[in-house]
Amino acid sequence: MNHKGDFLSLLKHADTSHGETKTTRNASDGKLNATLDTLHGTKNAMRDAFQIPTQAPTLEFTEATTVVAMRYNDGIIIAGDRRATAGTSVVHDRAEKVLPIDSHSVLAISGAPAMAYEIARVLKHSFQYFRRSQLQELSVEGKLRTLSRLIRDNLPMAMQGIGAVIPIFALYAPQTDESENGGKIYFYDALGAHFENVDFATTGSGSVWIRGVLRYLDRWGDTRLEQMDQRTATITILRLLDTASEYDAATSGYNAKAEIFPTVKTITQQGVETLPDKYLKDCYAEAT
Amino acid sequence: MRDLPYRWIEAIQDRRDYIEDQLRLGSPVVGLPYAQGSLLLTVTKGAQKIFEVHDRIALSAIGHPADIERLRMLVTDTASVQSFQSATEDVNLHRLTHYVLAHTFKQAFEAIVGEAYIIKMLLVEIGNGDAKTQFTHINYDGNVKVQHDSAVIGGTLEIENAMQEYLTATQTDAERDLNTALQLALNTWAVGKGLSKRFEDAEDNTEVTDEQIHEIIKTELEDGEIEVGILDTNLPADTKFRLLTQDEIQTALGPKNCP
Repeated sequence: MNHKGDFLSLLKHADTSHGETKTTRNASDGKLNATLDTLHGTKNAMRDAFQIPTQAPTLEFTEATTVVAMRYNDGIIIAGDRRATAGTSVVHDRAEKVLPIDSHSVLAISGAPAMAYEIARVLKHSFQYFRRSQLQELSVEGKLRTLSRLIRDNLPMAMQGIGAVIPIFALYAPQTDESENGGKIYFYDALGAHFENVDFATTGSGSVWIRGVLRYLDRWGDTRLEQMDQRTATITILRLLDTASEYDAATSGYNAKAEIFPTVKTITQQGVETLPDKYLKDCYAEAT
Repeated sequence: MRDLPYRWIEAIQDRRDYIEDQLRLGSPVVGLPYAQGSLLLTVTKGAQKIFEVHDRIALSAIGHPADIERLRMLVTDTASVQSFQSATEDVNLHRLTHYVLAHTFKQAFEAIVGEAYIIKMLLVEIGNGDAKTQFTHINYDGNVKVQHDSAVIGGTLEIENAMQEYLTATQTDAERDLNTALQLALNTWAVGKGLSKRFEDAEDNTEVTDEQIHEIIKTELEDGEIEVGILDTNLPADTKFRLLTQDEIQTALGPKNCP
């Protein structure tokens, strides 16, 4: 039995090699070595498929996307473009890069989608499992460490240049005094270290074009980011993505013809909310 | 002992008597559907008794706290792993009941040299789309009873029958709102609790009047707390379970039921 609420540990103790879960009282006596480690399993499969050497010589990360998060007066607004690329080809124009993890946290991904989606999935199940088994929500620090561990476990893929995941993790600390802004934004490096970005964070290939703009707006803009209302913050974040798409081929802008909008979510005391397309369309009309 | 059938049957009967004696005074649990979902209600004196198992499945039990915890973890672990390996929609109460819990209960009960589980469990699953709400009652010996309109667990079979009769006699429309369902569930709980006290005093009268129900609720809430878990289809998150706060319960029931 798993007493710590650790979902990865639960998976490792479940014999998944025969398709049937064995978490009964005798599970610990059984085939503990037939473990599931989804991330490692996928990594090994990809390494074999592409015959990638175990010792890769490079540390070059490809993060073809733009995701951006910033604090506004109710919490956090977080957005990502929809383009997925393979080299110079656009392979998908409706990719979701801003993924809700639980009622008050969101992961915005840049990097290899297979790894990123798997990390998001494991994270979601980990938080749920902790709450269900331990009868309380995982603390903010606990959530950050869980994500750190997943990113660190992914390091071999990152080192090989095909599986780097550099996410932004944003959440709203639910116990926060209502008069305070409980929104928090964390940036991770490829080794799993996390840093709290107080006002904003952006990552992906398009981020270099807008990081300076964010800094400028926050310091010298008419309204500081944190004092913006939701509409102003939405318009700002749409303009930022539009700017990134202007200079970065791997970032899509607003596709008016096909009505494909970026994914924009807010995280407030009330939880995660996805801003509807109609609202974004109105904001675009105002933004341009 | 298995080579002497009579002794085995006798041992099983002794075990049954022992477990039923232990369960006799357990605080009953009532499960009722309402328009947007289903609720589980009980009254506790501290420890939590209603739990989230998965997105659409909740659990409550009476019995020994260590057994409740062990079996709660068993079903929660299994649902979590299945959901990760496949999808949330593929986790269902039927599988969890028949392939995980029931045989675990039965095995422990009939292995007379080992420890038995002192437990009665009530699980509820709200359906996806048109699927019906399902209440599943699992007895300590692994017997399973599936119901759709309502379900109860109480210390003895007589208590459960009396609670079901009260529900049948007063049951409102299944499209009742949450407040109506909560009040009905609390009254049904009081019927079970009242009878459990009577049987302890060796009274066999099973009729409980409205005045007595009111009195039982008033007395029990002096040192107990109503606990309500709901599975509500209107909740925006994937997880449809949540425990109601004491403020929400008091508002729903009104001042007459709150000490």
